[in-house]
Amino acid sequence: MKSISQNERPKISVYDFLEKAPAELNLEVLAGAKSLQIREITSSRIQKLGLALAGFAHYIHSGRVQIVGQSEIWYLSQLESEKRVEAINHLDLEKISCVLITKNLNPPPELLEISEQNSLPVIRTSKVSSTAINAVTNFLQESLAPQITIHGVLLGIYSLGVLLLGDSGIGKSECALDLIMRGHRLIADDAVQIKKIGERLDGDSPELTKELLEIRGLGIINVRELFGISAIGRQKNIDLCVELKKWDEFEEIDRLGLETVDEDILGVKITKFVLPVSPGRNTSTLVETAIRLHLLKSNGYDPTQNLIERHNQILIANKTN
Amino acid sequence: MIETDVKIINPLGLHARAAAQLVRLAGKFKSKIQLIRQDNAVMADAKSILSVLTLAASKGTKLQLFIDGSDEIEAKEAIIEIFERGFGEI
Repeated sequence: MKSISQNERPKISVYDFLEKAPAELNLEVLAGAKSLQIREITSSRIQKLGLALAGFAHYIHSGRVQIVGQSEIWYLSQLESEKRVEAINHLDLEKISCVLITKNLNPPPELLEISEQNSLPVIRTSKVSSTAINAVTNFLQESLAPQITIHGVLLGIYSLGVLLLGDSGIGKSECALDLIMRGHRLIADDAVQIKKIGERLDGDSPELTKELLEIRGLGIINVRELFGISAIGRQKNIDLCVELKKWDEFEEIDRLGLETVDEDILGVKITKFVLPVSPGRNTSTLVETAIRLHLLKSNGYDPTQNLIERHNQILIANKTN
Repeated sequence: MIETDVKIINPLGLHARAAAQLVRLAGKFKSKIQLIRQDNAVMADAKSILSVLTLAASKGTKLQLFIDGSDEIEAKEAIIEIFERGFGEI
């Protein structure tokens, strides 16, 4: 599979942040409304202005949300007006994506004036700093996560998110349909949107193809309409890959089935089973069995290992006789 | 493995009917044919309609074309030709 370059650093404008952030933050704009589209957030980590206001400003990282809480407001309010202006001007305002005031605190007028002049958005939330920081970090982590859309089918099989891979025409969608009939869930067909969140991969369907499945000969079918709500699933952690391959593309099949390979997606390694497909082999049964096998193995039982041990015992027994 | 760029020039972009034409054409070749849109990191298999539609490629969109297989040269020519004809719309 051809890889895709992740050349662009993910970013989100302050405007999009306001639009999409969790509603319970009750965000409101206090200053700098004109520049919401221009200023961008590039890091999911926040900073507290804290010491920067006291003059130690060179640790301000660009592209971050700067939190202003009770301590910053208190600090500013006990300064004289000129000192306050000086403290705020001393900050590297160009580097700041936006200022987020917590707990519905009232900022000193100088902060709003200077921000307005420097086209720096100042936003306010009703939440206390700790809650706001948590919510903002979680939201930004998800929004700024590296993302790709790849060709494949994502299913929820038992408790696992299973990504079906393989060349087109190999029967991924037909296999998915079969698995749906057995009570498993479709998350995405043909195009799977994958986000890397921490060291985890989350897969979902693009809005356009949600709930749809394309079957050659039948065209596009809506799985929810045909099979009901229990046949579809939402965004899911990807636990396992299963690649379908034509039998003749296999040079040599490991008949003991000892090895699985790793599939690298966005730098995260996911265990992959490679299953040979040929007429007469029921692909969906194979996939379902592979998942059961994986569940069993992750609980510590490996039938191949078990066979090898039994065999060894017979060898030892024969030797002593 | 052949790698080249293609551009959508027809006014309606890579809409459903055009995508269906492309998928039908790509399906005639043995090679693996991929279209990649770098600006929103979407990789599509040219033989799958839902996958191609996910590219959401409007007029002016640049796509990278990757073809790998025994008939890659013929596939490349045919696919470039259909893009240049604007899917018969111009």
